[in-house]
Order: sequence, then structure tokens, then C-alpha cells
Amino acid sequence: QVSVLYFARSAELAGLRSETLSVPREITSLQLWEEIVKVHPRLAVIRDQVVFAVRQEYVLLGDQVLVLQPGDEVAIIPPISGG
Amino acid sequence: MEESEDVPKDFIKLKSEKLSVDEVSELVVSPSCGAVSLFIGTTRNNFEGRKVIHLEYEAYSSMAETEIKKICRDVRQKWPSVKHIAMYHRVGVVPITEASVIIAVSSPHRTESLEAVTYCINTLKASVPIWKKEIYEDEYSWKENKECFWANSEK
Repeated sequence: QVSVLYFARSAELAGLRSETLSVPREITSLQLWEEIVKVHPRLAVIRDQVVFAVRQEYVLLGDQVLVLQPGDEVAIIPPISGG
Repeated sequence: MEESEDVPKDFIKLKSEKLSVDEVSELVVSPSCGAVSLFIGTTRNNFEGRKVIHLEYEAYSSMAETEIKKICRDVRQKWPSVKHIAMYHRVGVVPITEASVIIAVSSPHRTESLEAVTYCINTLKASVPIWKKEIYEDEYSWKENKECFWANSEK
């Protein structure tokens, strides 16, 4: 079970800022995205513009295998615009 | 007069209240430094011909602070003579002309602090999880920094 955080446009599309999701312990970042889109189909439109932050490290959507622990924070990160 | 400890410090803050240039520059002033360099990011009232009413900033606060700490660490590696670094970013609503970010760096001589401030703002725009929403009269728009490597530059 991981904590999924939504920000900016992804929070608007998902309709919430955070939730707990059950996902396999080992999963590629792309598979993780697909799990999340199953729950929030409206997120599909931003697929090409987001990255994840897993335990506060950026991860691209792709084949990278993530090893997740219970309670890990996974954040959806749309293109940033600080400063 | 007592010599207080003048160890290099990083001052990092995300806050919703108005940012003060005086306050942030005071933080980095040091008896051993002859230079304080500053960057202030302010909000513009227009974008591509549309009137901007105000900006709203959102942050992944814990990670934003961690990423800003990484920037400070990088600055100290690249410019070892840098003394203090302050990076303050506002979150929530920011009215037009008010500051959304203030960066201040002190160093014994001016070159290092000027270069470090440039590095800080450029890297912040590329790596710190903060988002800006421009509110227009009839709609709004989430902005995307061109420094962000996962943004599509479509239009």
C-alpha cells in the first residue's frame, strides 16, 4: 500500500490530492501509472507530460522497476513552474 | 564587540505570507563578505496579451525543500567561497508585482555570489516541485517552465 499524491493539473483531473493505493511490491513505473489511470481515467491525457517522484526522487514513466515499501510516497509530478 | 560564529548557513523557506527583500538579504549578510547578490522573481500582469489577475503557487513542500537543499549543496561545491544562501519561495496566492521568489547569496567577492544566484534560480526552475497557475479574467492556466525536461513544448 502506497500513498499517492496528486499536484497541480493531476490533482484537478483526479479530483483529489492524496489517497492510499494497493500495488504490487515490484512494479515498473509505467505499470504503476497504468494502475493509477485505472482508478482515475481522466489522468490519461497528461501521460506524456508527467513524471513520478518515488520517495522524493524523480522517476520517468518507463521500464524502471520500482521496489515499493508499505507507506512509500509516490507523487504525480506535472511540468513544474516554480520561480 | 563579540565575534559570533559565522558558519555558512542555508536558509530555506516556503511561506504563504508576503516575502520581504530586507528580511531575506539580512539573513545572508556576513562580516566576512563584501558581496550580497539577490534575485527577486515578481509576478507580471500579462501573458500573451491576456491580463493576469494574480498567480497561485502550489508546492510538494517536503520534496521542494529537499531539492532546494540539494541546490545549496551544489552551490557550495561549485563556489566554495560562498558564505550564506537564502532561498524563499511564496506559496498560495501572489498578487501582481509582489515577489514569488527571493534568492540571496553572500560571498567575500562579487563574482561568486552573482554566479551562484544565477545558478540557484535556473536550477530551481528545472528541478523544484512547485507549480504556478496564472489566473486570467475568464480562465486559468498551469504554467510549464521551459527548463522542465518532462514538459512538452507544443504550442
